[in-house]
Amino acid sequence: MAEPELLLDSNIRLWVVLPIVFITFFVGVIRHYVSILLQSDKKLTLEQVSDSQVLIRSRILRENGKYIPKQSFLMRKFYFNNQEDGFFKKTKRKVVPPSPMTDPSMLTDMMKGNVTNVLPMILIGGWINWTFSGFVTTKVPFPLTLRFKPMLQQGIELLSLDASWVSSASWYFLNVFGLRSMYSLILGQDNGADQSRIMQEQMSGAAMAMPADTNKAFKAEWEALELTDHQWALESVEEDLMSRELDFDGMFSKELPSGIF
Amino acid sequence: MIENREMRDKLRKWREENCRNSEQIVDVGEELISEHASKLGDDIWIIYEQVMIAALDCSRDDLALTCLQELEKQFSDSHRVKRLSGMRLEALERYDEANKDYDAILQDDPTNTAARKRKISILKAQGKSAEAIRELNEYLEQFVGDQEAWHELSELYINEHDYGKAAFCLEELMMTNPHNHLYCEQYAEVKYTQGGLENLELSRKYFAQALRLNNRNMRALFGLYMSASHIAASPKVSAKVKKDNMKYAAWAATQINRAYKYTDTLKRHIVHLGGHAEAAMKQYPLPVFDSGWLVAGPRRTNAP
Repeated sequence: MAEPELLLDSNIRLWVVLPIVFITFFVGVIRHYVSILLQSDKKLTLEQVSDSQVLIRSRILRENGKYIPKQSFLMRKFYFNNQEDGFFKKTKRKVVPPSPMTDPSMLTDMMKGNVTNVLPMILIGGWINWTFSGFVTTKVPFPLTLRFKPMLQQGIELLSLDASWVSSASWYFLNVFGLRSMYSLILGQDNGADQSRIMQEQMSGAAMAMPADTNKAFKAEWEALELTDHQWALESVEEDLMSRELDFDGMFSKELPSGIF
Repeated sequence: MIENREMRDKLRKWREENCRNSEQIVDVGEELISEHASKLGDDIWIIYEQVMIAALDCSRDDLALTCLQELEKQFSDSHRVKRLSGMRLEALERYDEANKDYDAILQDDPTNTAARKRKISILKAQGKSAEAIRELNEYLEQFVGDQEAWHELSELYINEHDYGKAAFCLEELMMTNPHNHLYCEQYAEVKYTQGGLENLELSRKYFAQALRLNNRNMRALFGLYMSASHIAASPKVSAKVKKDNMKYAAWAATQINRAYKYTDTLKRHIVHLGGHAEAAMKQYPLPVFDSGWLVAGPRRTNAP
């Protein structure tokens, strides 16, 4: 049911939409640098490093095992997966669920995470809501149900207004998530201003290396390796090679200093 | 003379490609440090490190000490600098003191791979290859992903003539770098050296693979020829295998002939610059072949 299109004052664009974009962006950049300053050194134990490398090796064995002879592949698979003393079967790491109480460094990390990310978002969201209130800012391009009205139209008391017209607070939140790719462009990957990444991390688990995860990771690798077969890539390599003459182009070119040996 | 920016770019390129042309690095780096130190900004620290290692290679202890002192002044508590000081002690053959340095690093940070690798190099330098092999094995048990270490171990095993274990190490390398023709070729050579029909077959296959990955690998081509002829000449093979291998050997021989003919044609286009070559190489140290031939395109009119 199409309602007559609302025409917004172009001052809104100049004095509301753009400032909110700039504010969000600069707050994000500041957050990034603050998080760098507050970053604590993550010390990895030898065991964690070693385990992660073992998992990588097993994955490489699964993916590129076809380049080594069958015997060697089976030898390594046996080493990992043997019923009695294969590495994945035998190694059980101590499982200490990292709760905030027992692990002081994690507690500080969580606090820092909250301070740098959630708090500013709430504060600035509230400030923007208070400053830029009482008018419609923009329209989202898809239709929304009426349920969204109280959420997105804070401060606009119009019962008959389409829920697609939103207030400045919702524009602010849109920006927070939308500028994520801008941050990657300007600050490089893995930047501290990346809100959704932080939230994802908080959802999936607190610390970087969770001990319980290692056991599960081992089990997953064991299963994957069990299923892998050896398809030797070199079965018919001679025939492939001899199907055409060798190409010696560029053999003595100075761009290839070690092309021969 | 080559100016500041070019020198920095050269050093950066050598750093990124991990080239070991120590004399050139010392030449360029020394000049850069002594003349243009102020203009380098923060780059200077990494240049100090690079020049120091190159100076140790060329026995320039004075230069190495200068660089080390600058670095120690700036980064007094750094593991990286401690490792450099250990390396200097190694170069002076004061192995016990160097070991003490590395042990101190490891006590502070057990995951530091650089210090552990230096300790193993000390054992290698002292000629204690059995111990070096043992330490390297222990290191690899913890850090299975370190390709440099696998390669070093394979070299140590080859020196000890333990070809089976060397082959194992090379297999690790082949898995992590399936498109590197040099590892295939080295593996094939080890298998060829081990001998025995099965190993010869494997070596032939891997020589072929190396050739497939890089058509210009002459060593692999010769290897293919040798292994195929060896199998064909062996009394224990069936007639079919013999025939196949003779076909492979014949094909390899044709390709080798083609390669030499290709060189001959190339020779007619290459100009030997004679004295000009020496001067050119001093000023612009480009990677050229030992014969000093540069592919120069059409004939130069002013060449001798």
